[in-house]
Amino acid sequence: MGDQVGRSRPRFDLPGRVRGLVSHVGDQPVGTAAHVALHRSTAPHARIGEVHVDEALAMPGVYAVVTGLDLYKQLGDRILTGPAFADQPGLAHEKVRYVGEPVAAVLAADLKTARAAADAVWVDYEELPPVYDLRDALDGDAYVHDELRPSSVFGDLKHLRGVRDTNVNYEYNLRHGDAAAARDAGAATVTGEFWAPPTHHVPIELPCTIAWVDAGRLEMLTTTQTPSYVRQTVSDLLDLPLSRVRITTKPLGGSFGAKMYDRLEPLAAALAWTTGRTVRLVASREESFLLTTRHGAGVTSSMTADADGNLVSAIADVRYDTGAYADVGPRITAKSGMVASGPYRIANASVRSRCVYTNKPSAGPFRGFGVPQVTWSHESLIDELAHRLGADPVEFRRRHLLREGDEAPMGTTMHSADFVGCLDAVANAIGWDQPIERGDGRVKRGRGVAVGVKAVLTPTIANAVLQMNQDASATLLISTVDMGQGSDTIMAQIAADVLCLDSARIHVVRADTDATPYDTITAGSRSTYHTGNAVRKVAEAMRTKLIGFAAQHFGADDVTLDADGLHHGDAHVTIPELIHGHFGARGATVTAEANYTTEWVPYDKETGRSEKATEHWFAGAVGVQLTVDTATGRVHLEHLAVAGDVGKAINPKLVEQQLSGAAIMGIGHALFDQLVLDQGQVINGTLLDYQLPSIKDLPDKLTPIIVESPHATGPFGAKGVGETGILGIAPAIANAVRDALGVRITTLPLTPESIVAALERSDPWTLEEK
Amino acid sequence: MTTQITVKVNGVEHFLDVEDDALLLDVLREKVGTTSVREGCGVGACGACTVLSGGMSVSSCLALAVRYDGAELTTAEGLDETDDVVSSFVDCDAAQCGYCIPGFVLMSRELLAENARPSECQITEHLEGNICRCGTYPEIRKAVAAAAERRSPR
Amino acid sequence: MAQLHRPGSLDEAVELLSGLDNAMVYGGGTAIQILIKQGILFADHFVDLATVPGLREVTADDRGVTVGPMVSIRRMETAAPPLAADAYRHVANPRVRNTASVGGNLAHGDYRLDPPTALLVLDAVVLATSAGGTREIPVREFFTDFQETALEPGELVSGVRIPNQDASAGYHFEKNSSLGENDWPCASAAVLLDDRTVHIGLGAVAPVPVYVTADIAGLDDQGAVDAAIAAVEPVLDPIPDVRGGAEYKRRLARVTVEDAVRRAWKDRDHG
Repeated sequence: MGDQVGRSRPRFDLPGRVRGLVSHVGDQPVGTAAHVALHRSTAPHARIGEVHVDEALAMPGVYAVVTGLDLYKQLGDRILTGPAFADQPGLAHEKVRYVGEPVAAVLAADLKTARAAADAVWVDYEELPPVYDLRDALDGDAYVHDELRPSSVFGDLKHLRGVRDTNVNYEYNLRHGDAAAARDAGAATVTGEFWAPPTHHVPIELPCTIAWVDAGRLEMLTTTQTPSYVRQTVSDLLDLPLSRVRITTKPLGGSFGAKMYDRLEPLAAALAWTTGRTVRLVASREESFLLTTRHGAGVTSSMTADADGNLVSAIADVRYDTGAYADVGPRITAKSGMVASGPYRIANASVRSRCVYTNKPSAGPFRGFGVPQVTWSHESLIDELAHRLGADPVEFRRRHLLREGDEAPMGTTMHSADFVGCLDAVANAIGWDQPIERGDGRVKRGRGVAVGVKAVLTPTIANAVLQMNQDASATLLISTVDMGQGSDTIMAQIAADVLCLDSARIHVVRADTDATPYDTITAGSRSTYHTGNAVRKVAEAMRTKLIGFAAQHFGADDVTLDADGLHHGDAHVTIPELIHGHFGARGATVTAEANYTTEWVPYDKETGRSEKATEHWFAGAVGVQLTVDTATGRVHLEHLAVAGDVGKAINPKLVEQQLSGAAIMGIGHALFDQLVLDQGQVINGTLLDYQLPSIKDLPDKLTPIIVESPHATGPFGAKGVGETGILGIAPAIANAVRDALGVRITTLPLTPESIVAALERSDPWTLEEK
Repeated sequence: MTTQITVKVNGVEHFLDVEDDALLLDVLREKVGTTSVREGCGVGACGACTVLSGGMSVSSCLALAVRYDGAELTTAEGLDETDDVVSSFVDCDAAQCGYCIPGFVLMSRELLAENARPSECQITEHLEGNICRCGTYPEIRKAVAAAAERRSPR
Repeated sequence: MAQLHRPGSLDEAVELLSGLDNAMVYGGGTAIQILIKQGILFADHFVDLATVPGLREVTADDRGVTVGPMVSIRRMETAAPPLAADAYRHVANPRVRNTASVGGNLAHGDYRLDPPTALLVLDAVVLATSAGGTREIPVREFFTDFQETALEPGELVSGVRIPNQDASAGYHFEKNSSLGENDWPCASAAVLLDDRTVHIGLGAVAPVPVYVTADIAGLDDQGAVDAAIAAVEPVLDPIPDVRGGAEYKRRLARVTVEDAVRRAWKDRDHG
């Protein structure tokens, strides 16, 4: 083994990133491509009558105006796509389901003309009753979709096909013991009504897709985290073999879940295919807010302890507002529902988690995949329960946290999930055991902690192809997309370590489905473990090949590889000499390939439990010390410590940046970041109004902490970390506010207004005591 | 209407025909090819489109190109790797996806030209209008302080 | 977009402004570009002041400072009297302040802008020029209604005169946001106080920037705070939005005024 893993090697293209020389999709010259602008629905829920396009079509520079009906005539029901449900048309057909839904696409010589022409389209609507919130969606009789249409991707959704008269597209239930009876028999119960609002990812790079037809193939350059998924979607949409679809990417300017599954790509493919033109779609910042959001989620929940302080019951009713289209909401509903009781030993747990349609922009994946919303519930509840029992919130959690080998309430065993280590690390960092100066006037001080648990997406598939070049440099082909997390860098480190090379000599090819092999998605913190394992395996396969060549060369089996090359006793050959000699050519290449696939055991139909729901766990903790100005309600973060168990840090600096970056994003979610809708219409969808953390919102001190509890089957013991840091931020901050002021707030974000309102309530307790 | 303007971008003179309503951002990207200047919000709130005009920062997404006739513009690709600010950003790992970073680099250049030894608070004040969604702020802050030190060691 | 006109003199500018249908002055352009992109600005002609000589001058005399309309907000951080300089320093971010102009900032008439609060306190005068000549409009009479000013059609802001600030008076500009730290203000206050009177300019808490005074002769600091809050109470008329409801904004306005008065009090006593 080499010395590449465990080093904070800088990103290989860092100087280029700093100077803006790394090219992105939007930089691609497109020559005479048609620029596309979309006419969007003004109605939240309506039947589409006539779409009037003549005026737009007559404008100089307009090539074509395409409606949903036009696409339907050519592609039929194939225009409906989506990862869990085939429910989303590229352009609305028959019905519109949210304000801002694309209804017609204008293709024109330039974007300005296209946008002007899109404004000149007008539509006759027959309005239908809209469904704006979860309550209406669950209790009312207006339905966003006439019937459910599960996609072919997930076999376990098949039974939902054709179900009518509901807005619930998926329900996950966990039954472990008898949670209701245990609650009733318990000594202390806290109950809460929690709300986490929709938010937006706002990667600074805007989504952009360029699609064209080349020799009967559909080719595309797009900002996506999921090139392999997009390839399949386009193949299904256009009824083409996979070999006639090519999806390429460039490094993304951030994504966080925004640029995955069906965004601009199905529409771009349909427009290029049906018009034969190269098309370029770019979303403005305002339009980006309509492409996807984080699920707003309501959680009604309770946690109960017996007289000895043992946790005996956790109950949660979780409702995810998925908007007009399911996207991956059903998966979020299950994967988050199964951890809604938190990372604790609890004898009885009951969870009902539902994914609900409403007439709003569709919600999809967002860093944390629905888990921050349930963490908001369980970390508030356990904190309050500790207070009620007069217990120290850190000690109380510590006592109940799952340990190595414990079975979680949802049935899967814990391994390499050091919750206790993470909690201890953050508590220690913020001086939990040190006396606290409370403040006696207007400004009060408090501390809080929270712990998070999340399962990695399972089952998934990763593949890697490695070409060793004759000069002992290497080319690694994977479909993992580097969007700032540094995957290209750590994958090179993993391969280099196995092959005793300098990782700087390994080039990672940008995802191109003509060349790079299938990879499920770059999301859910799965790449380090899954693709990392495929890369480790492919490098091992390459090492075996090289050793085989060397065995021939030396005429002996006993060969070793190190940084100097290959050895047999005192005999030595360098890799360039070996490959040159083997093929008799300079510049020759040696190729190896490897696959890494994980399996799961599907949830039991009755109990929702699974002995292996996931390949591995993420464990994280957050500790906060803050002050609150009781006059303004404003929170000031003095110190925030965030810890994550990553198994083994392949690149510690990149791990720290994932932890601190997730923490900063989480600070926004805790204090001010939310997408505000009124009557289904986004009202803060510009960066003048939408609030993102700036450098001014940093805590005085931010401490990322790496915890390493090696995973038995991780590459070098490693697991991912992209989401770990964000899970507990909001509840840790709310718990610290509770500590400072004695008020418990259950609705995010904790705006100064909500804090002042909580202080002024005659009964500040939102959580009920039994 | 179209007007011919002359702008110097990173020391190279460009003669450009621009529409009266053309934004400097679009002209730089489409006619000059400076792709380090990026649209992130279109309303001057994120800083990804920052350029320096005569050393002074400008949101090119809100700037009419015709007004920059005769201007000397600097973009991040015009700075070389030995530049104090660029090299400090690199040494401090002050870029993740990096999409916003050229804007931070230029704002930092402007700050250091005005104030050779900015305090942490002054750094924060000067960079408050730039958004890094990856959350690289701690490294950026360190990088600006390091650049100041590099420029004028104590 | 509208047609752009680039006059070579102020006379030519005001002639264009009155002669063209639905014409608007183009100053720094930051706000105008945002409004164009939002699709809520409908001008047919823009009269660009960037090409008019002499509009970027700052002239100081013993009474105060006279500032051209195209002087940048950024420059005012050092060119204006201290209270106004503080308010100008709080506008948006340094990059926007480099481009945004003093004249445009006033003509925009937005109730949330920082500089008007200080200009109200300092009793600045807006110079409004049209084809018929130049008239003086006290800033205290300039903001007439939500997004409306006393400028008549055909008039443009050709300058602002800011009187010197009483050096013995205490002053403070306080700005509070309710969401992100660098957000628009939820409440702001510029305060100047001497032994007898506290002058208060309020931003973001009524449809227009508002000016009030209170008599504080003989009062202690708490008395001055109480008097100031009593004086602002009747003018608070906040617009509820994503930054807070009316009740919270009222509360924040009172806190903002209290903090500004206390700091101005200290400033007066300790210089």
